[in-house]
Amino acid sequence: MSKPIINVADREGYLHTLEWEPDTTLMETIRDNDLPILASCGGTASCATCHVYVQPKDNEQLASRSEDEDELLGETEAFRECESRLSCQIRFNPVLVGSTITLAPEE
Amino acid sequence: MNEKPIVVVGAGHAGVHVATRLVELGWSGPTVLVDAEGTVPYERPPLSKDLLTESAPSAPPPLRRESYYLDKGIQTMLGVTAMAIDPEEGAVRLSDGGALPFHRLVLATGSTARTLPIPGANLEGVQFLKTLDDSQTLRNRLTPGTRVVVVGAGYIGMEVAAAAAKLGCDTTVLEFQDRVMSRVTSPVVSEHFRKLHEEHGVRFVFGAQASRFEGADHVTAVHTSDGMEYPADLVVIGVGVVPNQKLAEDAGLECSDGIMVDNHGRTSNPLIYAAGDVTRFQCPWEGVSRRLECVQNALAQADAVARHILGAPAKEPEIPWFWTIQHGVRLQTAGIRDPDDLAVVRGEPATGKFSILYLRNGDKLAAIDTVHSLSDFAAGKRLIAAGSHIDPIHAADPNVKLTQVAASMS
Ligand SMILES: Cc1cc2nc3c(=O)[nH]c(=O)nc-3n(C[C@H](O)[C@H](O)[C@H](O)COP(=O)(O)OP(=O)(O)OC[C@H]3O[C@@H](n4cnc5c(N)ncnc54)[C@H](O)[C@@H]3O)c2cc1C
Ligand code: FES
Repeated sequence: MSKPIINVADREGYLHTLEWEPDTTLMETIRDNDLPILASCGGTASCATCHVYVQPKDNEQLASRSEDEDELLGETEAFRECESRLSCQIRFNPVLVGSTITLAPEE
Repeated sequence: MNEKPIVVVGAGHAGVHVATRLVELGWSGPTVLVDAEGTVPYERPPLSKDLLTESAPSAPPPLRRESYYLDKGIQTMLGVTAMAIDPEEGAVRLSDGGALPFHRLVLATGSTARTLPIPGANLEGVQFLKTLDDSQTLRNRLTPGTRVVVVGAGYIGMEVAAAAAKLGCDTTVLEFQDRVMSRVTSPVVSEHFRKLHEEHGVRFVFGAQASRFEGADHVTAVHTSDGMEYPADLVVIGVGVVPNQKLAEDAGLECSDGIMVDNHGRTSNPLIYAAGDVTRFQCPWEGVSRRLECVQNALAQADAVARHILGAPAKEPEIPWFWTIQHGVRLQTAGIRDPDDLAVVRGEPATGKFSILYLRNGDKLAAIDTVHSLSDFAAGKRLIAAGSHIDPIHAADPNVKLTQVAASMS
């Protein structure tokens, strides 16, 4: 069986196809594959450096943003209501396998 | 082709990030990451938070997955201590008997918990919290009914107290100052967290200076200089940290309570850099020299070092920031407050959601503390970086967004 993958568009617009290990978060997958997200808080919804855009049709199917996630992202300049997520709060999810997400600009 | 590696001593947040950034910025020569601890490099913040209260013992999240280092060509030497630097030879001597010649050396040796030079400090049951080992020992000792005395109400002491209370321990915090977290926040926030802890059964004693630990081999009580005695089965000391600068000092690098570095992380030896908790640097905003013990600083300095080694352009300095979580309540701070700043309370502390804005010279936003209010944190951090001015009266109204408050001033 082929491994689950996720496509990540970096800030220059290049697309990277990454293997997504089912026991990891989206943030860990992006970070450990050399894409430039800092993830300074280690995935505790404190820093917003793992901000990504998930396509609205996919985002709709994920659990909605927690209050912390919503507040942290809502005040970033790059916030998009229907797409912004903290990738550290997204655990492996079959809904996203094969889809494309985009790194939000650095603050 | 460069034969000699870039050697990084210390695989905490700073050291690992140096190695990572070197790879990301295109370094094709060898990199060696040396750490005295034998574990896969891990996140320290959870050691005093979730890891203490989780029902099953678990490991802290690794900074990178285990296979990362090999995949990226970063050689790790875990469980190996750097013993000395030979500046003439340009080499580090290691505890395994080897010597590593280096192209560049990065010291990311972090800090060690400050000890208390008082009798009984070596008794069983008196401990610190810095490493995974410490955290696991502590977790096993925090059983219901255990009498825990925490010495020092800094953020680590406070996080430990919160975990202890949650696990049903009888918890007392002794603090020399007259309020909690006095080094990192203002009285309003200190009050809020004191009350929060007391609601969860934690006792505080202020103006208390531990003078002696009592016990035959295991601690049984803490004595304070005012003659009081506090029975204890477990003592956790959280009275700050000291930088691990011995390697640097012995090699003749300039040190002064921290390895002195510039904004590229350069030490007084052009081949040697330093980053993270171990450094002291000139603060770009205030002209004073300081040490910072936070993840943000470790990562920012690591990035600056990697850039400078490879000749990549430096980044703008970043606003320092920090978080702590106690009894599920999140305090996040950005910027560095000065006791002379005008402190404006935004929102009502009794609601559990508020912020304190620190205004310098009347209206310049210099720092912010936010309690359960990440929108103010995110906005505040950005406004501090932009050097924004804020009208104190307008800013006190939590119904107006901070960004709007600032916009109305420009
Ligand atoms: C319990 C706890 C909770 C924390 N919570 C937070 C938080 O919520 N938010 C936050 O921002 N910060 C927090 N911090 C602080 C943060 O973890 C540190 O600022 C950060 O880890 C510093 O990284 P560093 O790489 O400089 O040092 P460290 O992480 O201390 O790493 C230094 C490494 O160097 C190694 N080393 C030292 N000397 C040698 C030698 N001679 N040879 C080989 N190896 C050596 C050590 O073994 C160690 O692994 C916390 C710290 C602790 C201890
Ligand atoms: S890693 Fe910090 S918010 Fe996601």
